[in-house]
Amino acid sequence: MSAPLPDLLPAPDAASAVPVRTKARGQASPLRVWIPAGFLILLAAACFIWPQIYPVPKPVGGSILEAGLPPLSPGHILGTDPNGNDVLSRILYGGQVSFEVGFSVTAIGLVVGGLLGVAAGYWRGAADAAISRVLDVLIAFPALVLALVIAEGLGPSELHVIWALAIFSIPAFGRIARSGTLAIREQTYMLAARLSGSRGRHIILRHVIPNIMPQLMTFALLGFGIAIILEGALSFLGLGIPLPEPSWGSMIAQGQQVLSATPEQALIPSAFLFAAVVSLNVLGDALRERWGVR
Amino acid sequence: MAVGAEPGAETGAGMTLAQRALRSPTLRLAGRRLLAVIPVLWGVTFLTYVVMNLLPGDTAQVLLGANATPAQVHQLEVRLHLNEPFWVRYGGWLGATIHGNLGTSLASGENVTTILGQRLPVTAELLIYAFVGSIVLAVLLAVLAARRPNGIADRFSVVISMTGLSVAPYVLAVVLVYVFAVKLQWFPAIGYTSLTADPLENIRSLTLPAIAIGFPLFAVYTRLLRADIVEQMQREDYIVTARAKGVPSWQILIRHALPNSMFGLITLVALNLGALVGAVAIIEPIFSLPGVGAILISSITNHDVPIVEGVVLVFAVVVVLAGLAADLLYAVLDPRIRYERSAS
Repeated sequence: MSAPLPDLLPAPDAASAVPVRTKARGQASPLRVWIPAGFLILLAAACFIWPQIYPVPKPVGGSILEAGLPPLSPGHILGTDPNGNDVLSRILYGGQVSFEVGFSVTAIGLVVGGLLGVAAGYWRGAADAAISRVLDVLIAFPALVLALVIAEGLGPSELHVIWALAIFSIPAFGRIARSGTLAIREQTYMLAARLSGSRGRHIILRHVIPNIMPQLMTFALLGFGIAIILEGALSFLGLGIPLPEPSWGSMIAQGQQVLSATPEQALIPSAFLFAAVVSLNVLGDALRERWGVR
Repeated sequence: MAVGAEPGAETGAGMTLAQRALRSPTLRLAGRRLLAVIPVLWGVTFLTYVVMNLLPGDTAQVLLGANATPAQVHQLEVRLHLNEPFWVRYGGWLGATIHGNLGTSLASGENVTTILGQRLPVTAELLIYAFVGSIVLAVLLAVLAARRPNGIADRFSVVISMTGLSVAPYVLAVVLVYVFAVKLQWFPAIGYTSLTADPLENIRSLTLPAIAIGFPLFAVYTRLLRADIVEQMQREDYIVTARAKGVPSWQILIRHALPNSMFGLITLVALNLGALVGAVAIIEPIFSLPGVGAILISSITNHDVPIVEGVVLVFAVVVVLAGLAADLLYAVLDPRIRYERSAS
């Protein structure tokens, strides 16, 4: 519901109509790229590959006799939850959910929103007006309420969480792609491409998309983190991944119930969630600086 | 709702003032914006109604539970007008809402206006607390950081804002409760004391939820404002002029660069307000605060359309008014935005 800016202020699109690639102000040191990237690769590998090659206890169906073991118990490095499930195993399988949801939501937003935004920005006219209005309404709507309603309506499952969250990753990517396209549309090389007889589809694939990619990719890392946080929020509220399937969000919600007695039940998944999102954000920041994205 | 009213018309203190108010460009701008608000509000409430009605499952069945007989379900449907077509129900709701009647809760039969009247003050207090705190602290830290880019304060601000950007509100809430309520016992973990009952206790009961909502905002604001101030300080001629005149550097920062850097922050604050309904919906139940966020979640699961509509409408109005306030603030901060020189 962004109220329009005063007439004398430049509209947001005009404000961002500077060349997308500006000269990088300071080169990010390689460490700022590789430390978070390395951590993320390690975390993803731990979540997806570790359970395959080094057997961990099942994340569900634990014995009530083993409930509430403290961390560093034999056989349960991070202890067990009040239902007797191994916490480490739930962290790893819950991490799979986080990565899968984050990746899918970002990918859907990047492809669908990106294409819509590029089409709107490149062809302008009626298509632009129609696409922009739809994106505006979706952005104006209180996103989490919409996601909650959709998740509630479709019922809790991983796929439904992805659909619910894609509803607002699409307009976000769409808007960025559109303003990026508008910004490079008037560049000389675009004119040259048009004059030399390139077709619209060719120009979009060869000139527009490669040029707005840095912007979209840095936003994708940010969006990945936001999607992970929101998946956790839905699961935290019981509308995301259905119990007893593990998810970091529902683990935090369960741990919160026993916070004073066994704080690690909530703090361990919290730490993993925070570490994953902070790595994504630091990586996005470093790449933004490196690629000179404003 | 007197949404379309020209604000100047309400002054009513003599013809000259009223005439002047009507001609005032700022107020005319405000009036035009208020008129433009109506379709946005309609769109948001309509979309909410559609989405809520797309929910699978029978509302009456949800309300009565799985054991209800078909006859009972049918009886309740008739009583709540759920058996009527979508457009009839929506028309009825819209007509009543225009007259200021938000209907009654499907679950409890209570008046939605009454429910909102009881719960809104809690949420409003929480949000004001979170907002004022985050904006004041963000301005302080951003100015300190921008004073010396890459200095100690700047590095600190980068770490703090990265933390705030990355922490989920529910994670922050859990950590805050553990540290400050369970371990240190400085603040209560849950519960709400009203302002009139005990002002000090009221602030204590709202502090942790306000931090959980405000800290991520603080991080975003600090980051944005710091970048804007640094850019002003590096690029603008009036800064060079002020330096050449020998104005002390802190004065340049606060009197010249800061007001000119506030535009981005104001825009963002106005935009953020809408997204906050989500944060409120998550944080309020964690701290057992009796606000609108807590009832929003339960109303969505209950398919209680009138309450969801009421909450969404209130937040939409707030967002729209915030956008308007932002527009007017631009003019206050930058006199060039006014259409003509004001008399004062």
